[in-house]
Amino acid sequence: MRIGRAHLGVRATSTVSFAVLALVISAVLAGGTYLTARHFLLGQREDTAARQSFVDAALVREGLLTAGAEVSEVLDSTSPPPGAVVVIERDGAWYSSSLDTEAEAIPTHIRRLASKGQSAQAWTLLGTQPAIVVGVPIPAVRAQFYELSPTTELDSTLRTLAAVLGAFALVTTVAGALIGRAASARVVAPLEDVASATADIAAGRMTTRLPATSDPDLAVIVGSFNTMVEALDQRMRRDARFAADVAHELRSPVTTLMTSVTVLRGTEAGATGRRRAATDLVEREVRRLHRSLEHLLELGRLEAGVLELDRGPVDVGELVTHTVRDTMRPEELVTLVGSPLVVVANKAILHRAVVNLLDNADVHGGGTREVTVGCAADQVQVRVADAGPGVPTAERDRVFERFVRVGSRGSRSGSGLGLSLVAETAHAHGGSVWCEERPGGGATFVLSLPAAPASRGAGA
Amino acid sequence: MTSVTAISLRFDDNCGRHAVGEPAGRLRWQTAVMPRLLVLEDDDGIRVSLAMALEDEGYETTSHPDAEAALRDPVFGEVDVFLVDLMLGAGMDGFDFIREVRRRSDVPVIVLSAKADTHDIVAALEAGADDYVTKPFEIKEVSARLRALRRRLPTRVAEPSHAGTGEFVIDSANGPLVLDAHAGVLRRGADAVHVTVTEYHLLRELATSAGQVLSRQALLERVWDHGYFGDQRIVDVHVRRVRTKIEVDASEPRLLVTVRGLGYRLDCA
Repeated sequence: MRIGRAHLGVRATSTVSFAVLALVISAVLAGGTYLTARHFLLGQREDTAARQSFVDAALVREGLLTAGAEVSEVLDSTSPPPGAVVVIERDGAWYSSSLDTEAEAIPTHIRRLASKGQSAQAWTLLGTQPAIVVGVPIPAVRAQFYELSPTTELDSTLRTLAAVLGAFALVTTVAGALIGRAASARVVAPLEDVASATADIAAGRMTTRLPATSDPDLAVIVGSFNTMVEALDQRMRRDARFAADVAHELRSPVTTLMTSVTVLRGTEAGATGRRRAATDLVEREVRRLHRSLEHLLELGRLEAGVLELDRGPVDVGELVTHTVRDTMRPEELVTLVGSPLVVVANKAILHRAVVNLLDNADVHGGGTREVTVGCAADQVQVRVADAGPGVPTAERDRVFERFVRVGSRGSRSGSGLGLSLVAETAHAHGGSVWCEERPGGGATFVLSLPAAPASRGAGA
Repeated sequence: MTSVTAISLRFDDNCGRHAVGEPAGRLRWQTAVMPRLLVLEDDDGIRVSLAMALEDEGYETTSHPDAEAALRDPVFGEVDVFLVDLMLGAGMDGFDFIREVRRRSDVPVIVLSAKADTHDIVAALEAGADDYVTKPFEIKEVSARLRALRRRLPTRVAEPSHAGTGEFVIDSANGPLVLDAHAGVLRRGADAVHVTVTEYHLLRELATSAGQVLSRQALLERVWDHGYFGDQRIVDVHVRRVRTKIEVDASEPRLLVTVRGLGYRLDCA
């Protein structure tokens, strides 16, 4: 049973238990009912047979007492119930009201008792049918009277009764199973609520709470679950707010640095090589800081859901073409397959995601080889292929995490947030992003977004 | 620098620009002097570095950390473009300052916003700002905005290419409302209607293509010189502002109508 429990769920166990219980109870009740009814009916039938036999025996006695009467004539004058057979033994000779019934049909102990002058009753077979045989001695005429009454009707009655009771037991068992299932569902239902709430929370819907309950058994678990989610939510909010606050605080100094570097650049005419190199370093690192900060801010905005306010139909083909052109990359890289390639999105953040994919291919993949925008099963896909070393299978999910750099060889010029921003953008728009191997070497990053309903068409 | 000279020369030809009759905010762009900018920014680092970088590009720059001081500055009336931070320390904030600038003149205002949130940008545009950049910005973004503004300004003058379309009667029933491209003004009857440089240019674009739908993207490119990734909300807010000036009932526009999903259209009546 322990093994069974380990393999069966709560619901299956409960269902089986209720079914077995219902089966046992209904079997006991049905069996008891059947036996009682059978006992009563058989007794009644035996009484009837005995009474009938005594009446018939009395008639035979009367007939045989009449002087000169032959047994066969008397036998003819008796009128046993339909199907019943009367057999008379007198002076060792046997007479039967039926042609094919012989003395063998009458059990020997009945014959012995009758010959000793005792009435007796027993069950026997008349042909192939069960029957009651009653033996009545008639000493006055030195004869033994036997009457065989078939009980075919009783038999069929009992069979019907057994069938009805069996069916009843079966129905009860099924009902038991159903009740068990319903009861366990009732017990398991709160657990299912917990499971779906947990899944919701894992998917990022932190506003999910379990509904309040008046059930004292469940109130505790619901309360502590909601408290846990609340604490988790607050903690995540605090972390997110901290990151956002840091990013906000960094805006002004980074703007100042960016602007000052430009001023420095303008004043370095005639500067020494060392000073120029130092300015180059400052500029490069300030730009990187600037990019990281922008990515952090965009991530914060994505998390806060701010960008959802400003969404519209965006032609991804157009957007990718403009992005490639604006970032001074050759437009021949872009291939558009089919149209319309329209999604509902925030244009600015989608632009940023595409830029990040291109930057990633350039920085880590040894240069963008091709950019394909196409449609696949209600999804608009942007595929950015590079000819770099590719991404090991085990790392293909990890590259989308924050500040993860795959391969120690990797350049450090990225923000460390670029691909995670792509992933967040995809998720915020109900899409996905993944990395696959490019045939012929390199990696292909695929950004897949749900296509806008056809009716919306290209945006204004 | 040659392009600057060209613009200045065209401004020299323009006498109608001051028909609006502002007491302050006269454009200096018509002179050979580089435009004067006023930077209102409470962060010392940004204010000082921005002023330096803009001076390197040839602009005359005045800067202030607080709005009251900027309003009291004797050169206030000679400023050609305001660069305004929204969040200032104590006292007036950037929104109040923009409203005060608008009360006094139609000089362009570019917002230096620390916030990229829909709410603040739209609020600043509604207060009267013409354009915005968000921090952290690169100086080249600010320069691009300024260049776009400067390109925008000469079109208030009668240009040879538009010689045949000097006057646009927008609403003949009320006023009549006339956009005079020669004088660079919008008039209702004999009175000048106050419009900012950007509002004027937007109306001018719409009037040139009266009866045709112009997409928000097209307007953004033609009026603001923003590329594909510009913020189309700028167009929406300016359209709302223009409506309050030309429509009889701005909540039920008859002249400057929205064509859902396509853009805007000016129906001259």
